[in-house]
Amino acid sequence: MYNAKVRGVLIEGGKTYQDITRDVLRPLDTGKTPLWWWIASFFASAMLVWGVWGFYNTIVNGIGTWGLNNSVSWGWAIINFVWWIGIGHAGTAFSIFLLVLHQRWRTSINRAAEAMTIFAVMAAGMFPLIHMGRIWNGFFIMPYPNTRGPLWDNFNSPLFWDVVAISTYLTASFLFWYVGMMPDFATIREKTTSAIKKKVYGILSFGWLGSARGWLRFETAALLMGGLTAPLVVSVHSIVAMDFAAGVLPGWHSTIFPPFFVIGAIFSGFSMVLTLMIIVRKVYKYEDYVTKGHLDAIARILTFISLIMGVAYITEAFIAWYSDSPYEMYVFFKNRITGPYAFEFWAMISCNAIIPQLFWFKKIRKNITIVFIISIFINIGMWFERFVIVVTSLSKTWLPATWHTYHPTITEIAIYVGTLGFFFLGILLFLRLLPVMAISELKGILKETSSVKKINENESK
Amino acid sequence: MKANNHILGVFDDPDAATTAVEQLVKNKIAIKDVFSPFPLEHVWKKLKMKTRIPYLTFTYGALGTASVYGFLYWSSVINYPLIFGGKPTNSLSFVVVMFVLTILSGVIFTLLTYLVREKLWPGKQVNLPDPRTMDDKFVIVIEKNKNMDEALTKKIDDLLKNSGAVEVNES
Repeated sequence: MYNAKVRGVLIEGGKTYQDITRDVLRPLDTGKTPLWWWIASFFASAMLVWGVWGFYNTIVNGIGTWGLNNSVSWGWAIINFVWWIGIGHAGTAFSIFLLVLHQRWRTSINRAAEAMTIFAVMAAGMFPLIHMGRIWNGFFIMPYPNTRGPLWDNFNSPLFWDVVAISTYLTASFLFWYVGMMPDFATIREKTTSAIKKKVYGILSFGWLGSARGWLRFETAALLMGGLTAPLVVSVHSIVAMDFAAGVLPGWHSTIFPPFFVIGAIFSGFSMVLTLMIIVRKVYKYEDYVTKGHLDAIARILTFISLIMGVAYITEAFIAWYSDSPYEMYVFFKNRITGPYAFEFWAMISCNAIIPQLFWFKKIRKNITIVFIISIFINIGMWFERFVIVVTSLSKTWLPATWHTYHPTITEIAIYVGTLGFFFLGILLFLRLLPVMAISELKGILKETSSVKKINENESK
Repeated sequence: MKANNHILGVFDDPDAATTAVEQLVKNKIAIKDVFSPFPLEHVWKKLKMKTRIPYLTFTYGALGTASVYGFLYWSSVINYPLIFGGKPTNSLSFVVVMFVLTILSGVIFTLLTYLVREKLWPGKQVNLPDPRTMDDKFVIVIEKNKNMDEALTKKIDDLLKNSGAVEVNES
């Protein structure tokens, strides 16, 4: 198979197999829980508690506690839903696309990216549920034989597709993530000295042995599950895009939406991976595994996707002008580029299409602090993109008498902050309790990268 | 594994273990299993190991597509035909749900097949020939049988050692 040698050394510091086991097991087995973990968990829990208040307020008092009005019927809930789903594309995009493409540099990052996917998709799923208002009737969205006459869901509706796509995405991503961890659980089972950990990780490992036939079946099953899940990246966000594109609102009713959303999702997912991995490599001292080369590779991908985003923004505006539809023209030129939502529009353009172009410079890609700041800008920019799409189109529809501006209420802010808390708490638990990097996969590439090192050394002589 | 019935060749290098497997296969000595901390593709090839999981996955996907379409057709055309905007009840847009649920059935049943075939379940007790295979060692397991005399055992020992085994144990 095609093995790229251009990436150079993937694991630095002359590690042995034992070093890898020890380094990955350190946070969850031998090491003590560090102080920063408690502090971060405290803040994440506080955010989550505030979010629970937001949920409670919405359920008890109804959707009226949100800033929605007759024309802006979707607000922060759908913005944050799409934002989280986008971030949730990190794991699959990262781990599965790069797995299928045989990119070996994925090995130090894929596990964490997959964990992000799980928690981000769960955070996203809360918004449609809470947006129903009567959350206890949430099971109505499932097709089941019922007492309302044999009335089924509308299987032609993008909203029903969303239900199917997101629950499938969550299930498939979780199973893929879990299967990948089974060999590592077995390693923990054999290496740990604590009887409780031996028991717990032993149960989690399902009695994994690591025999030749076991590995063959494992690799085959994992590749098949990964290969099957890969198209979901495209389908999930295409379906989310169709929630908009199937509507007739100016600014939404556009065929560019599905590819535009998929690219945007991968963009925000990669940037969130970058944000988190820079922190993780620092606090866990994993600089030898998540090398500057890894961050450089992600930065290059982001530059490329940023260009696609820029082209998509220009295309949208061009088609609005070219279509000669006064409504499209109004939305794009009077309500986005200029007008009351110009700030959000230009924030989106600069964060997504302009600032990431700084990654063209090698000096900037090598400076981890700047890379970190740019990755935060992308996260913010992608949030503004969803804000621009949702609010500008809804706030000014065909009938000027119904025009309304939209401001979120404290309840909506609480719910959003709560999902952030949920996400961070999940990631923190992952960092504390599960193997952050795929031990067996790292061992699998160790020898290969050290041979690359030899080649490089010979060339420099 | 039954005790006192096996020869274990312990290696600390994946390539040495692969060479040993190659040598043993060449000398027609049956290898019971090879334990390693990460997958060794060459060992599968040398031992001519194959898996039929991909065919099963395809079957699950095909069955998934068919049954999902069957359900959609039954519920939307037979059981409760409801006209949305004059569109046909047997709609082309069923493709979306079929596509996604095909993947779901493929993923879930592939995983179940893997777990059943490998006989893995939560809480299963394990008996590893050498726990170090979970860390940094590669172990080739050869089962002793009645026909194995001293000379053959010696030959296996030598083969393993010459290929780079750091230890040859019996268990």
